[in-house]
Amino acid sequence: MGYQKPIPLKTQDNQPYWDAADRHELVIQKCESCQSYSHPPGPACAKCGSTELSWQNLGSEINGTVYSYVTSYRPFLPGFQDDLPLTIAIVELEKTPAVRIIGNILNCTPEDIQIGMPVKMAWQDITDDRSLPQWIPVS
Amino acid sequence: MANIKDRYAIVGVGESERSKNSGTTPLHLALDAARAAIQDAGLEAKDIDGFMSYSENDSCTSHQLATYLGVRPKYVKDIMGGGSSTEMLIADAIGLIETGQVQTVLIYRSMNGRSGVRMGGGGWDVNMLQSAIEGGSFIIPYGAGSPGQWFGLFATRHMHETGLTKEHLGHVCVSFYEHAQRNPKAYFYGKPLTMEEYLHTPALSTPFNKHDFCLESDEANAIIVTSAERAKDCKSRPVYIMGIAARQCVSHAHYWSDLSEVASDYVAADVYKKAGVKPSDLHVASIYDCYSWVVLRQLEAYGIAPRGEVGNFVAEGNLRMGGKLPSNTAGGMLSEGYTHGMNNVLEIVRQIRHDYKGTDRQVENCEIGLCTGWAGPDIAGAMILRN
Repeated sequence: MGYQKPIPLKTQDNQPYWDAADRHELVIQKCESCQSYSHPPGPACAKCGSTELSWQNLGSEINGTVYSYVTSYRPFLPGFQDDLPLTIAIVELEKTPAVRIIGNILNCTPEDIQIGMPVKMAWQDITDDRSLPQWIPVS
Repeated sequence: MANIKDRYAIVGVGESERSKNSGTTPLHLALDAARAAIQDAGLEAKDIDGFMSYSENDSCTSHQLATYLGVRPKYVKDIMGGGSSTEMLIADAIGLIETGQVQTVLIYRSMNGRSGVRMGGGGWDVNMLQSAIEGGSFIIPYGAGSPGQWFGLFATRHMHETGLTKEHLGHVCVSFYEHAQRNPKAYFYGKPLTMEEYLHTPALSTPFNKHDFCLESDEANAIIVTSAERAKDCKSRPVYIMGIAARQCVSHAHYWSDLSEVASDYVAADVYKKAGVKPSDLHVASIYDCYSWVVLRQLEAYGIAPRGEVGNFVAEGNLRMGGKLPSNTAGGMLSEGYTHGMNNVLEIVRQIRHDYKGTDRQVENCEIGLCTGWAGPDIAGAMILRN
């Protein structure tokens, strides 16, 4: 059985993010005009509308804290029936707090998750050539 | 800009039958609702020269509706939109009437929301979702496909910051279910909810259990808007629009990372200013309730209770009959039915017209009401109505 869950679709606007994820790196779109980070990435800056966009490579050591989370006890999408309970979190990056990234928290029971807990990014190799950025607790 | 305060009115409201399996099409449902609203207003179909609807591509068109009412209107318009669309379309209708394009507009929402296209998903192709939803590639691969999860992320953070508890969410549900016991047409008529039962219901997706989620229904609702002058010719008691406002804030429609503000925060200031009233002037409310928490967040946004005190406000029973602001008095979308907000509009119109006078469903002496729409934290609408 191959990977049953949705695989991130690469598009004109997000391809650098997912290509970097496949290399186990994090890149974030940044606006050269207003200097704000733009995540999720898009065709223009969501703050000022500028198309002067670049990609910042934040590397592979990505730490953050849980900003908010939910734990789902029902699969709301096909493929997640064996992942329950499933925790989805918004994580605030330590070095660039303006960037908050949504992902699952792995290796953790729901009772142990709380706002403010430290986590780090880990890449799940979901197919031969694709990887999915995820979060694991910092022990 | 012209001040439109009290110069336009809702003169008719109507609905189709409500069910979980209509066995018919959104066009049939829309025709039933439109005919009921036209009759309520004491008008004839040919008096309607503008038709508008909102949908998520799950409805019939205004053109179809007009066709089968035997009307050839001057203006038809169908928008894609969520739970703040009623207010936005009323504002459009006022603009069209103000500029002489049309005289009387019927606005409807029709959906087989349970037997047809379900808002909360079910049967969706995940790759289609990734493309269709803004930022979809950044949420769908993580299993976040339900508004309950997206709103839940907002709710968890807001509850953490303001001290709201699961029990406070429960007070919204219990209050609205209690209203539904006075409404024989509500889904949960005859099915009251106790706090004990609520707190023992397992979570579907934290912080929500099934009671915190709105219903799904097959149903159409319609309202008719015209000028105050023309309203005098209608059979019904006009409900005047004191002020109406809408706006977007928070970027993106589904991927929310800034949880510090919602569009309702801005709409509130705007609508109160336009209407010339303050929160303490309100007697009754319809507060968009796709999820229980959404009500609490809007009570804060609209200044009905200060941030940090919203929980106590609902715990004191202030959303119930006899409370400071009886709200969603037909049961709301949590316990009456779900037409993407419009059933709450119908109810507040009927309250302000005193349609329930002489029964325990009537909010005594209500003159001014607030009706809110919430497509999400990102986009909201509201209007203040009076008799």
